[in-house]
Amino acid sequence: MSTVDERTPEADEPEVPTNRPPGMHLASDWLKRPYVRRILILTVVIAAVIIALTFVMVAFMNMSGGPASDIQAQIEQTMFVLTFASAPLMGFTLAILTYSWWGGWGKVTTETEPTEEGPAIRTNGVAVVTWITVCSLLAAFLVIWGLVALAQITAGSYGSTPVNQQPNATKAIDINVTGQQWLWSFEYPDNGRITSDVLVVPINVPLYFNVTSKDVVHSFWVVEAGVKIDANPGAITNTGFTPNKLGSFNVRCAELCGLHHAYMETKMQVVTQEQFNSWVREQGGVKTS
Amino acid sequence: MSTVISPPGGGTTVAIHEQPHVPQPKQVGKPGGFLRRTNFLTAVISGIVLAAIFYFVTVAIVNKVTGGGQQDDLSLPDGLQAEIAMMYIGWVIGFMAGIGAFAGPIRWFLGNDLTHADAEYMSGKDMGREKYWKYTTDHKVVGIQYFIVMMVLFGVGGLLAMLIRTELGITWAEVFNPNFYNSLIGTHGIVMIIAMIIAVTGPLGNFIMPLMVGARDMAFPRLNALSIWLLVAAIPPLISNLFMGGIRDGWTVYQPLADQSPVGMIGYQITIIVFAFSTGIASVNLITTIVAMRAKGMTWSRVPIFIYGILGSAIMGLIWFPMYQYSQILALSDRVLQTSFFTPASGGSVWLYENLFWLLGHPEVYVIVLPATAALLELMPVFLRKPLFSYKLAIAGIFGIVGLSAVVWVHHMYMTGWAPASNYPFMLSTELISIPFSFLVLVMLGTMWRGAPWTKLPMMAVYAVIWNKVIGGITGVYLSDTPVDQYMHGSMFVVAHFHFMLMGAGLFGAMAAIAYWFPKMINRYLDERIASIGFWTAFVGFQITFFAMFVAGLQGMPRRVLQFDSLFNVANWVSTIGAYIIGTGMLIFLYAIITSWRGGELAPGNPWGAHTLEAQTETPVPHENFPVLPVVTSDPYDYGVPDPYELADDDAIREAEGVAKVGA
Repeated sequence: MSTVDERTPEADEPEVPTNRPPGMHLASDWLKRPYVRRILILTVVIAAVIIALTFVMVAFMNMSGGPASDIQAQIEQTMFVLTFASAPLMGFTLAILTYSWWGGWGKVTTETEPTEEGPAIRTNGVAVVTWITVCSLLAAFLVIWGLVALAQITAGSYGSTPVNQQPNATKAIDINVTGQQWLWSFEYPDNGRITSDVLVVPINVPLYFNVTSKDVVHSFWVVEAGVKIDANPGAITNTGFTPNKLGSFNVRCAELCGLHHAYMETKMQVVTQEQFNSWVREQGGVKTS
Repeated sequence: MSTVISPPGGGTTVAIHEQPHVPQPKQVGKPGGFLRRTNFLTAVISGIVLAAIFYFVTVAIVNKVTGGGQQDDLSLPDGLQAEIAMMYIGWVIGFMAGIGAFAGPIRWFLGNDLTHADAEYMSGKDMGREKYWKYTTDHKVVGIQYFIVMMVLFGVGGLLAMLIRTELGITWAEVFNPNFYNSLIGTHGIVMIIAMIIAVTGPLGNFIMPLMVGARDMAFPRLNALSIWLLVAAIPPLISNLFMGGIRDGWTVYQPLADQSPVGMIGYQITIIVFAFSTGIASVNLITTIVAMRAKGMTWSRVPIFIYGILGSAIMGLIWFPMYQYSQILALSDRVLQTSFFTPASGGSVWLYENLFWLLGHPEVYVIVLPATAALLELMPVFLRKPLFSYKLAIAGIFGIVGLSAVVWVHHMYMTGWAPASNYPFMLSTELISIPFSFLVLVMLGTMWRGAPWTKLPMMAVYAVIWNKVIGGITGVYLSDTPVDQYMHGSMFVVAHFHFMLMGAGLFGAMAAIAYWFPKMINRYLDERIASIGFWTAFVGFQITFFAMFVAGLQGMPRRVLQFDSLFNVANWVSTIGAYIIGTGMLIFLYAIITSWRGGELAPGNPWGAHTLEAQTETPVPHENFPVLPVVTSDPYDYGVPDPYELADDDAIREAEGVAKVGA
């Protein structure tokens, strides 16, 4: 058997000389290169910083006293998961960016255009396939986590059926929220239709809100409870949550609604069941059955 | 018509087809005719005159119909609706007539079509500076006009931004009346959006793109002039709103709040309707030029990536701008004709408006970001002297974004209650669009890999822009996730996020691109030192402003408020200081542009050693761009590969040229 490859015709021309580096490397050889090691170390450092920043971000979110409901707690947990999952890729991107900017691969600082040309790397199949796979898996993970989390907070807020028709939430309190320029008003249909401009609610009881507006679009935002839904004129939207922390929290309007939009805010007072009952009596309503 | 010739000595006959005689229109008078007398000044005069005529005629008609019982207080929402709307329409028609936009069609209609000499006059041949003030069809003139208009819009929008931050920084008092403050945020928003949409595709898409594809001009030169002058006509109605009660409803002008606004709102609606025509016309022109007028040999796998970016942007603009236009036509009809498309009290739907609005509102982000990103991809190989990494992956990324941009708009409406069940599929599509974006990121990283950057401003700006894009991207991951968005929606976090995308990636990217192509457009180098100082000052200020704004958003500060909880004070003080630093940096950059324009160092035809076609023609670019139309034999990223002509010679030449050998 001849050692000469007779099937491949001889090239018409000599191979074109280029700066193209040899194509394939073993991963172990690749990892021995100094710049690869430096970039990987940078990646770890930057990813750690990004993860640490998430704690700072959540600390900012809790500055006004939250989380006041499981929904807000779940939102914060989701933020951690999203950051942890994407930190390695973000870190790698920023590491290459920093390394190149810092001049790790050299720099040309002349006034005239550079005379030397870089390596002619047109593409790299392994890099492309790996990158697309990793990015797609990451996106798939984020989507699946997000969909599950959305289903969970939906079950905990507006739900596919109203909370008070769900078997495990018979004790839910209905509250009709009406936005108008520029105040919120809350009506308690279960408690003798008393109305209030402060949202007073008992702790650990599911709340179910029917939100509407008298004039323009507002957005009902209970900040520390992590609940937000637009108040639309001519339509009722629903949301809900179970407060799990006593105290005073913020209710704001999150959609520009005209002149005094900035002042359209009120408080949510989370109180004990006894305090709630006596507040209802003071307002002339009836106790929750 | 053909002639049959028998060659001497017999043999086969050869048929020579002659050009059929096409009757040419006859030249009447001097070339240009009516257009010799029109310019910007006549346009303004004619616009004002026709606006006045339309206004008074409408007043007379309305008084006749209503018996004079018309409310004429400008501060009330129902005062002078039809009159003001007709006045703005009169202004636009009058302005376009006065600039000479209708001369071509009217002469064609009268059987007296434009001759070749007329067309040459219109293209500004042998004309001095006045061609920039006329209805000039040359793409280079239109590019410069877009450049000027863009800078004016950024100036206005930036000034408004400074006023907004002043109000928010002075936490102990109300500086402005709340109505004026609300007008400021609305006008700032829409002015900046328009400025950003034209920032790259306007100046560079018009000036550089035809050069880059090796064409003598755009496919439809007269439409090109039409698109810029429609844009110019659309600006006065927008700015004048500040004196007519203002746009008090944010740039989104959600209904039915917009119905409560005074007549300034009509200025917004007319501007958007006219601007959408301008964008549509420009998009058709760009797409046709790219598809049909590329140089010989420029196959789809040799087209520079910047051209793909422009193409993707133009396709999205063409498809989605009409949605925005419909929404404003219907809203105008609600105001003036008392219809009720969006008025819930009479059976309309606010969700219909929100859907129509965001059908453009989201793709518009990619209309802005895509050409800026593609411009960076174009200049990176030049400054790194390396081929663009995985050119075809970049194309796949661009068209992936164009395709997916159609199905993500509802993520702006997660919290509207329109269709809670739709949050699931739209969350999926929104996170899927990160995959084509990741393609573009890999292309950038791969191009940087092992390359030594030439540290000029355009290249260093690339690093700044990618940083901004990564920050905008990771905060976008939170916002695309419905549960987290339930907290973030409508807060300052969103504002900071989209400023990172639109300003951080879009505007800074446009600045990098303009620094790169400035020598080609203006014939002079941009002053590297002063422009760099301006750029980096603005960049540092940008980080301060918007990181502080992220903090305010996380603490729970809603958007578009002028007074707030004292919890947010510190973040807002920091943010305002950062904003003034941005303002200073931008002024320095503007100073660099103006001084370099007037007396910068003269630039050669190919200042950066690029391989693209626009760098191969001389500077200043001759009237029809190329003495002989070029023929393309490879893509423009063949760095690191010696010229085949040099290969024919020996090693000595190769060494003299500094080209590396095999395996080096």
